[in-house]
Amino acid sequence: MRDGDLLEIRDLTKRFGGVVAVNRCSLALAPGKIYGLIGPNGSGKTTLFNCITGLERRDAGEIFFRGKRIDGLRPHQVAACGIGRTFQIIRVFPELTALENLLVVTREPFEVAHRRAQELLRFVTLDRLQNEYGGNLSYGQQKLLEFIRVLMRDPELILLDEPAAGVNRTLLNELLAAITRLRDQGKTILIVEHDMKVVMGLCERIFVLDYGEKIAEGPPAAIQGDARVVEAYFGR
Amino acid sequence: MNVIITPAMVGQVVISGMLAGALYSMVALGLALIFGVMRVINIAHGTLLMLGAYTTFWWFRLLGINPYVSLLVALPLMFFLGMLLQRTLVTRVVNAPELSSLLLTFGISIALVNMAQLAFTSDVRSVEFLTGAFLVGPFALSKSRLVAFAFAVAITAVAFWFLQKTKLGKAIRATSQSSEVAMICGVNVRRIHLFAFGIASALAAAGGSLVAVVVAIQPEMGQVYTFKSFLVIVLGGAGNYPGALLGGMLLGLVEQLSSLYLTTQLSEAVAYVLLVLVLLLRPTGLLGGRAR
Amino acid sequence: MRWGIRAALVVGLLLLALYPKVATGYGIQFMLQLFMWVALAQSWNLISGLTGYVSFGHVAFFGTGAYAAGILITRHGWHWVTGSLMGGVAAVILALVIGYPCLRLKGPYFAIAMLGLNEVMRVLVSYFEGLTGGGSGLSLPTLHASREIYYAMGMTAVGVTGLAYLIFTSRVGLRFMTIREDEIAAEAMGINTARYKLYAFLLSAFAPGVVGGLYARDQGYIEPISVFPLLTTITMIVMALFGGKGTIWGPVLGAVALFVLQELVWARFLYLHQILFGAIIVVVVLLMPKGILGILQDRYRLPRTV
Repeated sequence: MRDGDLLEIRDLTKRFGGVVAVNRCSLALAPGKIYGLIGPNGSGKTTLFNCITGLERRDAGEIFFRGKRIDGLRPHQVAACGIGRTFQIIRVFPELTALENLLVVTREPFEVAHRRAQELLRFVTLDRLQNEYGGNLSYGQQKLLEFIRVLMRDPELILLDEPAAGVNRTLLNELLAAITRLRDQGKTILIVEHDMKVVMGLCERIFVLDYGEKIAEGPPAAIQGDARVVEAYFGR
Repeated sequence: MNVIITPAMVGQVVISGMLAGALYSMVALGLALIFGVMRVINIAHGTLLMLGAYTTFWWFRLLGINPYVSLLVALPLMFFLGMLLQRTLVTRVVNAPELSSLLLTFGISIALVNMAQLAFTSDVRSVEFLTGAFLVGPFALSKSRLVAFAFAVAITAVAFWFLQKTKLGKAIRATSQSSEVAMICGVNVRRIHLFAFGIASALAAAGGSLVAVVVAIQPEMGQVYTFKSFLVIVLGGAGNYPGALLGGMLLGLVEQLSSLYLTTQLSEAVAYVLLVLVLLLRPTGLLGGRAR
Repeated sequence: MRWGIRAALVVGLLLLALYPKVATGYGIQFMLQLFMWVALAQSWNLISGLTGYVSFGHVAFFGTGAYAAGILITRHGWHWVTGSLMGGVAAVILALVIGYPCLRLKGPYFAIAMLGLNEVMRVLVSYFEGLTGGGSGLSLPTLHASREIYYAMGMTAVGVTGLAYLIFTSRVGLRFMTIREDEIAAEAMGINTARYKLYAFLLSAFAPGVVGGLYARDQGYIEPISVFPLLTTITMIVMALFGGKGTIWGPVLGAVALFVLQELVWARFLYLHQILFGAIIVVVVLLMPKGILGILQDRYRLPRTV
């Protein structure tokens, strides 16, 4: 936890009834890196995302973004601070066209927004489908759309929830290349992912959660060798 | 108001409240079943009650036999009518957006009410059977309300026994909690829907039968009971069956108490205002259901 | 909008404007009520078709407007035009007061709350007898102004439809729609859904308030049960659904189709009419929930802004 950290989470706790989904979790993200968040199913990764983005109210702990507290803010306010996210289950707006999905999230003047939307659509080769309803796109296309929709607001911190899920090899490589390019542009990315090849190959630093607690943290090599991580995944 | 309120009056009101409350609980349990199992908002619930009331009326008018015996006819009759409605119409809006179920059940309601108007005319009817009251100390207990209370308690107890102890009852409760999981466990969810609606209709009809001896009967009588059942569900928490019981008693008490302090007109509003207030302040119900 | 359609619209409006010159009293009454239903169905569309929040007590705004205007006209001598406008304002105030807490409720609960609200308003109006005449109703001073009211209703209907057009074809409209599509995603993308919901709700309350006031003036007499009936809410919903909610012309189409049908065919057989209406509701809900325009949109790939 140093000054200059983009995102800092301190002792975050979230309970659902009797279940503790996130248990005194602390982590910090420095700007301009790609981070990974892994752990077995139910370890609290998506809940952590939801707490950061304001979808859930945390029970204890603090979240700082660029030094300012953001826990307790409503989701649209968190987005306005410069944090964008995608969802585990794709949440494209089905009865809006692909283009409208992009235009609707920004308040910039139409020409500016339209130009950026076209750039992003070309970037993921969805431009010829821009007038297709979001609900009519294929799974992979929707995934790409959700990805570039996040980028429409040019966020500093991007939270990606399982970007590789259900995605074919070619598309995946495109996505990974895009993520790397974003990092090179100075953005910070936190990825929840189950595909270990993706995580180990892409992320510079990885956090491991188990039963809502952070059990390990470090570069890929350190995580791969960590006995606790292996135990968490493959049982006791 | 310049009326002095004595403890005896309060006591009387509490008793009246409980007598009415049991009836509300029983009817609302039916609505809770429909909402819990099928996520359907049944605006026709009061209409089913009305049909039960008319069954009792005609039974008494045509046969002259004790109207309470008509429960033996009304309950199975409405049970099957409920299943028929479910099978043909309601099943299509199970788990649908609320607009569909609201409109569909309203359509059913309006069709049934108007058929009743055509068949029975809009004349106000009544069943003159058990009049007068028992005098117990300073309290007057209306005979018909007392009998209604007794039957309502008995029927509700049977319903609860059924839900808790029988296989079908447990299947119903399981489906209310999660129909996907219930299906995986081998529950025939469509049959559950059928039975749940049938049981709920029977409960509503029982309410109508019992209330036929107490209040005036006319085709539009059901609407106010639908609202009150909504209120009970909201008070007790949606999908919370014991909650429906307590909610019913609470409503009965609040209604009677407010008639003590307010004019009768305003106490009518109490149910509605309470509905809106509870929804705003505690949408999960006073007893906490699931805020789905 | 293509100029051919534009021209057709202008011609149509012109015809409507000239109609009273040649119409009978019944004709004017007929069209006046038709305009009223168009305004109601379109207003409901502005909240429920647009944001997906099902307002199941929308007639509460109609009744509020009717009584607000009625009281101002009867007890304070206001002119019916300004009275009706104030009816609209009263409805918006009501929407503001209850909208803010109610819109936080999820789907079915919001619908039930609106249902309850309507009944609360009805009983409140009955209770404050001194102001509203209570159960015996409120009589307005006699005035024969059918023609003027025809124009007023017409302008309101055109106004609301114009508003719908502006909203549905703009980015603002898209933002409203994201609430319907996926409220959580919308929030996560930076859209202040609470505020937008409220705006839609307020916008949807104004016209019903105004036409409520106009209705009161036209009828000359109102009572609680006549201006707060659940049936009116259902009718405006079914009209919007039949034509196609979430479109611009759907509510207009639905109002015209169902009102014409109702007046010409069914009003002769009262009970049968109601049973048939129940059947229509069932048919619309089960067989054509997207409405006529919705079906056409799917079949012929019409644009959303139809």
